Amino acid sequence: MKIGTLAILTIGVALLLALPWLVSDSMLNAAVQMLIAALFAMAFGLLCGRAGMLSFGHAAYFGVGAFAAVHAMNAFNGEGLLPTPLLPLVGAGTGMISGLIAGYFSTKRTGVYFAMITLALAELLHALAPHLKAVFGGEAGISSFRMPAWGFTFGSLSEVYYLTLIWTLGCILLLYLFSKTPLGRLALGLRENAHRMRFLGYNTHALGTLIFAVSAMFAGIAGALQSLNLEAANYVVLESHISTAVVLNSFIGGVRVFFGPAIGGALMTFFGYITSDLTRVWLLYQGIIFVLVMMFMPRGIVGEVIERFRHSSLRGLAQTAGTMALRVASLAIAAFGGVFMIEFIQRFLSSDYRATAGNGNWPDIALFSYVWSPVSVLPWAFGIGLFAIGIALTMIVNRRAAAAQEASA
Amino acid sequence: MALRNLLGSTAAASFVICAGAVAAEPLKIALVETLSGPQASTGLLYRDAVNYQIGKLNAAGGFGGQPIELMEYDNQGGPVGAADRVRAAISDGADVILQGSSSAVAGQVTEDVRKYNLRNAGNEILYINLGGEAMELTGEKCHFYHFRTSPNAAIRVNTLLDGMKDAGVLGDRVYAINQNYSWGVDFQNNTVAGSERLGFEVVEQTLHDVNKIQDFAPYVARIQAADVNSVISGNWSNDLLLLMKAVSGAGIDVKFGTAFLDQPGNIGNAGAVAEGHFLSAPFNPEVNPEETTAFVEDYKAVTGHYPSYVEPATVFGVMLLGEALKNVEPTEDGLNAEDLALALEQATVQTPMGQISMRSDDHQVILPMIVQEVSKDAAFKADDTEFGFVPVKVIAAEDAVQPVQDSCNMKRPG
Repeated sequence: MKIGTLAILTIGVALLLALPWLVSDSMLNAAVQMLIAALFAMAFGLLCGRAGMLSFGHAAYFGVGAFAAVHAMNAFNGEGLLPTPLLPLVGAGTGMISGLIAGYFSTKRTGVYFAMITLALAELLHALAPHLKAVFGGEAGISSFRMPAWGFTFGSLSEVYYLTLIWTLGCILLLYLFSKTPLGRLALGLRENAHRMRFLGYNTHALGTLIFAVSAMFAGIAGALQSLNLEAANYVVLESHISTAVVLNSFIGGVRVFFGPAIGGALMTFFGYITSDLTRVWLLYQGIIFVLVMMFMPRGIVGEVIERFRHSSLRGLAQTAGTMALRVASLAIAAFGGVFMIEFIQRFLSSDYRATAGNGNWPDIALFSYVWSPVSVLPWAFGIGLFAIGIALTMIVNRRAAAAQEASA
Repeated sequence: MALRNLLGSTAAASFVICAGAVAAEPLKIALVETLSGPQASTGLLYRDAVNYQIGKLNAAGGFGGQPIELMEYDNQGGPVGAADRVRAAISDGADVILQGSSSAVAGQVTEDVRKYNLRNAGNEILYINLGGEAMELTGEKCHFYHFRTSPNAAIRVNTLLDGMKDAGVLGDRVYAINQNYSWGVDFQNNTVAGSERLGFEVVEQTLHDVNKIQDFAPYVARIQAADVNSVISGNWSNDLLLLMKAVSGAGIDVKFGTAFLDQPGNIGNAGAVAEGHFLSAPFNPEVNPEETTAFVEDYKAVTGHYPSYVEPATVFGVMLLGEALKNVEPTEDGLNAEDLALALEQATVQTPMGQISMRSDDHQVILPMIVQEVSKDAAFKADDTEFGFVPVKVIAAEDAVQPVQDSCNMKRPG
């Protein structure tokens, strides 16, 4: 399995390196966002998944890194001590310092109280930011310019992509190595039983603060990368929805698996990127995905995949993969039916439609390159029918899988 | 032999024609608006208005013999999403970017466009700001490829004060209460600046948190203590509604002068509390009835509702763009942004409200403003209530104009 993991990693990195030749500019832009979201989620994963401290205010450290980087960009002009490629170091430094301070206070408590303190600290910064125009630039934000350095202009998207890629991969590697250090190991102990750790003589408060600071440091790097990418920072990065997004992303990916948050962050960012131009109700889909993942895959997507494929023989592996493929196919049918229904209702209720409809006149609605009449039974039967068929198929697949498992046991 | 020649030349000719048709790209306009999430209602109004007027331009022949292609991007409500979508729009070949709601997003878009144009000389794109009213967009952030087609804080405040003075409700004691961010500060500064010209005293100035206050009673107590005739406020959304309700609840008889009272839902929400308060906006359906009625009825026929809030000014802004396009030669990849910018600087268009034109010094539109009062007598009711906006004073474009800001150092091409 170790070799398998290594092979998957090598292929993944090779794909990422070749990406600028494989996809359009617009997709490459999405890839930059995905990398940043992945790193931010990994930083959060260290704190929440590994050390068991659920922070609701991680946007604060992301934002601190973002603003520090933008100020450094303007101060150094990409020259001297801090050429453009090294700017994320500023994010790391400021993220770490703010993490030490915030971590000192918040890790005095655990559980819900910890979450409340992180939330309060983030809101404090968020409420303060609009008033400090010199630091946070008011609602127009602070703008900067990526200056050329080391023979690169950093004007093209692919250069920005490689810069982000190198930093993200490097940071994820560091996070992996960190998880192997004694401090990283102690984080697990903190999650499992902090009382016992204290009885064993560890200073759990200092431990928690340190891990908080490391997590904030990587969040700061992610923020700095975002500033480098956008060449601007705005206090909206301190808003609470940035904090919640990273929580959702990490849990969807699987917060307790090392790579889970990164995959979750990248997937959900990609999802938002693609769907927000296709449909006005993409936030609804995002919410539905979160609810479904939490209900049926509480370990998250990556956690579930690892759980399914671990400790099984080659034959068992093929069997699991077969069942999974069937399950995904039947779920896809149900999803298509559901999406069809939601989109149809959304179009039916939209103001554009209401402008033309009325007085017994119900014009056809174009959806998925066909036109459907809302007064006929066809579209409703089609959507609901597909949804029902998909669900029924999933249940059959599940029942058969359960029966097969029972037979083999 | 002759036949073969004929065939050959026909083939060559048709090849040339085909090649010509393939090479000339349609003009692509990207609308980068907030189309989902809690702030979407305003973004969708911009979308309706832009769709409407681009439809008109296309019905009139489009650009370069082809229909103008309108692409929509959802900026997801914030500058981060907007920066992203501007890039996506550029890589999809957009020549012009339109955006309106939120000055924060406008600030990001205008900077992104400026930087893109610096890096891609000869291949520039244009940004038309349909509604970001912060002063700095035509001040320190102004640049050659940014155009604002909405009023700004200075125009709003000064026309509002003029109109209220004429209506005899301004009085000599005025209270300025605003949200504590650049828009509110701009609004307050312009109110203070107008006091000398119009001979009133700004008794007290208050800046408060943005959209966080649930109870305006302490502020109302200060307004009461200040004993003023009118309150000038750039507040919007809840901050305006709650403030007006609190003042009315305390039984204080003052007139409000506002900028965003016509936002859909405000009148429905405030009801009788809003009666008698003032607004300065670029449109009122009762002005110039012959032309305006045709416009609002046509707008309703196309979009399903009467134009309100930001919609009319957006339509006029796109009309101005259409006017400029008439004076631009199409090129192989759509158009040359510099040509369009130069044409837009000279553009003048007749709207139902009067003539609007672009000022070349800072790319701020010069437009007539209508000071209006909430009243039961209005011909067009707002939000299905018995109230609507009755025009009090129409201020012609040349009187509404405000001076160019010193901070605008526009670098012109060439």
